Amino acid sequence: MNWDPRYERHYTLPGFGHVAQEKLATSKVLVVGAGGLGCPVLQYLTASGVGYIGVMDFDTIQLSNLQRQTIYPTASVGQLKTKVAAEQLRLNNPSIEIIEHPARLSKSNAGKILQQYDIIVDCTDNFEARYVLNDYCVVLQKPLVFAAIYQYEGQVAIFNVSDEQGTACNYRDLFPEIPNANEAPNCSENGVLGVLPGIIGLIQATEVIKLITGLGDPLVNKLMTWNVLNYQSMILEITHRADFHIPDIESLDSQQDVDDAHRYRSEDPIDGIHPREIETYLHNPEVCLLDVRELYEEPPFPLVHQGIPLSTLSQRINELSARHIIVVCQSGQRSMHAAQYLKEHFGKNRRISHLVGGIVHYLNYKKAE
Amino acid sequence: MKIKVRAFGPLLDVMESEFFVEASDTKALVDVLIQQFPGMADRKIAVAVNGKITNTLVKLQDQDTVALLPPYSGG
Repeated sequence: MNWDPRYERHYTLPGFGHVAQEKLATSKVLVVGAGGLGCPVLQYLTASGVGYIGVMDFDTIQLSNLQRQTIYPTASVGQLKTKVAAEQLRLNNPSIEIIEHPARLSKSNAGKILQQYDIIVDCTDNFEARYVLNDYCVVLQKPLVFAAIYQYEGQVAIFNVSDEQGTACNYRDLFPEIPNANEAPNCSENGVLGVLPGIIGLIQATEVIKLITGLGDPLVNKLMTWNVLNYQSMILEITHRADFHIPDIESLDSQQDVDDAHRYRSEDPIDGIHPREIETYLHNPEVCLLDVRELYEEPPFPLVHQGIPLSTLSQRINELSARHIIVVCQSGQRSMHAAQYLKEHFGKNRRISHLVGGIVHYLNYKKAE
Repeated sequence: MKIKVRAFGPLLDVMESEFFVEASDTKALVDVLIQQFPGMADRKIAVAVNGKITNTLVKLQDQDTVALLPPYSGG
């Protein structure tokens, strides 16, 4: 039996001991997303001695991440998250294996990567990735420890693990279809209290450890909500949808081809407008700059524009009369969603573009000019 | 039927976190709320009655609690 003084407090913990520690050591866990949720999950699974941990993210570290993504030092801004996180985790616990997956989760890589792991942890920050992850975990029958956050609240659940009745729920039992762009509060512009993903991520890490070791009562087929402002929490039972059909990988792949073709077909892309170009459109009466941020969001956009928050865009779409609409938001994510929505609504009658990198990028560009 | 409603996440932009409405079943409850809060119509929301998320129409009893849970994407 392996004995490592690092885990002494686990060995002596009633109900845990060497047996549970050995289960952690032989488990393979993939953490998808190395952001607010991913950081605490990675740090504590590493410290706890999970033997083989994958970290998957395509992004680089931004200064605005550091308020909640505590694994990253300030000097690492601009570097790949997977690389910096893996280096730090290896320092924290050299006795385990950390595998880097510096890629965006997609239908073309999900199956291959997920198959290498026993448990998947959903720490993603957008609905597209969440649905790809969910569907592939259903197909591959991989336990999925899900969490998501919004401002001051979090949700946690465990999917694809059968309860005593043999029922295994998944995210589509809660929300069968992917939410529309105009109801997707996924940009970091919505703000989040820095400690929230820390708390929710640690609940996720706890659920992973409980699943591996058989400890306690994990949130199988249950959705927990948790509010940081009043510490109110609810645990809700999830009901499996009888009409849900598990998609097979082949149909997912072909659907991906359709989605990609629809989204990226070359004759019909969303124009990206660079901050250096945007002022050239200012005096064109055919052009409208449309800020889709919520009304309370800062900083103000200094160019003449129309403001319709994304949350009300579908109701107010008739207010848009310009032939060419350039959508802007804080960082360029919501504007892309909104532009796709407008493009679907208006078809070829209007030209729809968006400001690449958003208002933050524009203001930085102006400052550097 | 007097039903206690609990709302979460982005729904709190348009409604209180707890309030009461009159409704006989979950569909009637959602319809009443959509009339009151038109922004709700376009949202995908999971509905839980007394702690159980339901995908079908559920008859409501006086003093039942209905939780309205929108999806969160943040991570």
